[in-house]
Amino acid sequence: MKKKQLLKEKTSNGVRKVGVVGIGHTKFGNLSDYELVDIMAYASLNAMEDAGIDGGIDQVIVGNMGAGMLNHQTGIESALVSTLNLEPAMAELVSNGPASGSSAFKMGYMAIVSGMVDVVLVTAGEQMRRVTGWEATDFVATLSHPEVEYPYGLTLPAFAAMFTRAYMAKYGLTERQLSLIAVKDHLNAEKNPFAHVQLPVTMEGIADSCHASVVNSYVSEPLRLYHMCPVSDGASSVVMCAMDGAARFKKKPVRIAGIGSATDTHCVHNRKDPLDLKAVRLAAEMAYKMAGIGPQDISFAELHDAFVILELCLAEEVGFFEKGKAIEAAEKGETEVSGRLPINPSGGLKAKGHPVGATGISQIHELVKQLRSEAEKGRQVKNPKYGLAINFGGFGNNVVATILAKE
Amino acid sequence: MYRVDKNVYAYKCPKCGQLHYPAPMRCKKCGYRRYPEQEIEPNFQREGYKPWEKTPLKGSCKLLTYTRLWNLPIGFDQRYLDFGLVEFENGIRASGRLLVDKPKIGMKLNVRVGKIKEFYGKVCYGLQFVKS
Repeated sequence: MKKKQLLKEKTSNGVRKVGVVGIGHTKFGNLSDYELVDIMAYASLNAMEDAGIDGGIDQVIVGNMGAGMLNHQTGIESALVSTLNLEPAMAELVSNGPASGSSAFKMGYMAIVSGMVDVVLVTAGEQMRRVTGWEATDFVATLSHPEVEYPYGLTLPAFAAMFTRAYMAKYGLTERQLSLIAVKDHLNAEKNPFAHVQLPVTMEGIADSCHASVVNSYVSEPLRLYHMCPVSDGASSVVMCAMDGAARFKKKPVRIAGIGSATDTHCVHNRKDPLDLKAVRLAAEMAYKMAGIGPQDISFAELHDAFVILELCLAEEVGFFEKGKAIEAAEKGETEVSGRLPINPSGGLKAKGHPVGATGISQIHELVKQLRSEAEKGRQVKNPKYGLAINFGGFGNNVVATILAKE
Repeated sequence: MYRVDKNVYAYKCPKCGQLHYPAPMRCKKCGYRRYPEQEIEPNFQREGYKPWEKTPLKGSCKLLTYTRLWNLPIGFDQRYLDFGLVEFENGIRASGRLLVDKPKIGMKLNVRVGKIKEFYGKVCYGLQFVKS
């Protein structure tokens, strides 16, 4: 009987099935009064509590991009294990820029699938508000090429703006249409207790009134303040386990159906088509293939909208809409929580916030919450079956796609 | 990180002729290996491997996209900076400083190398795109 059960918990190709049984999150925002490791521990304990466990973690994996630079602290994976008193659990740090969280999740999945461990705690966090805005901008810009991009003063907003300009020229997108995405994301974030910016934002305020250009000034033309994410602190955490051992946890597992990741050129200028986000497409295709589904099966998605243009372009690259058509769907309300294909019901990076290393796990947290039907009133997606998350590292040079499924 | 050479180069694979910018350690087309020591140490030789030819990035180029950045990282004290992404006639693409009043996608530009940053008295040079 036991053997039969084990076989049942493997996919058709014999790979061990893995699920998420616990989730935790801190508020995103300015947490500069706290220590980074304490923020991460807070989210971890919430995840363990949610899973109904007080220990029994085989492996801890931490996702973080810049504790060494921003917090002058290294070895945060060991520090986290110690502050949680989880020794002698194995602990490693995974760093993949703003996709560190999802990469850590992927490593957790691989550790369980390999059979080496059964229970993994994946916690991702970042603290960016202890430094000035200039320093935080510089920190993120260190993702760019150290010789032919970074010394010029090029930043991630500058790359996103150049991308947006080219997209506008090709597909006729306007600044006002970008603001529509921001308004939708803020509406969702208003109902998300973890969101950094829980302010209602209107088209009048950021686009249509005579004061809009003052309130919503340019950061990097044609992108304005409300077209990009805030600089945030925060952490998120999940407990993952082998599905054959999931019964001992408090909550029903949410199955990891597919994971894919891909890279693209480090230098943005070396891409054949400056508007082609190849790594996004390849990562999503890999995740769809593993899950045995296609974009038409996805009930909702969390897409890495550090810049609102990315919500549109990622939705196109993962196959939801034709190139240049995502804005039409958004204008029709299809991507709202009550729409045909809700995108960023959490508020997205745009309004929920973007503590870079934490974002990937925060997206997974939202997928689990939605698939369990535990999201707050007004932002719960109706009967979701599959959720997709795209975590975008660099300016699209290292992307992770994750699909979770309701069991 | 801080370029003091007053030229910016593309690198040509000695085996297949593929141009690269910046220099890779391995040709993206044929996989031929590059030994950077060959550019730094005049007497360095690696049997079977020829040095890569350095070609200065110069001449005319086409503007593919651009931006004016208002929020600058630490180390820059200008009010704003303009950036462009261009394509050279040989197919090489690059990003750099845009020094044009009214930029337009598709416009022809010329490239020059000029000061892009000064850091603790050390001048850093890079690509500047100007009107052709």
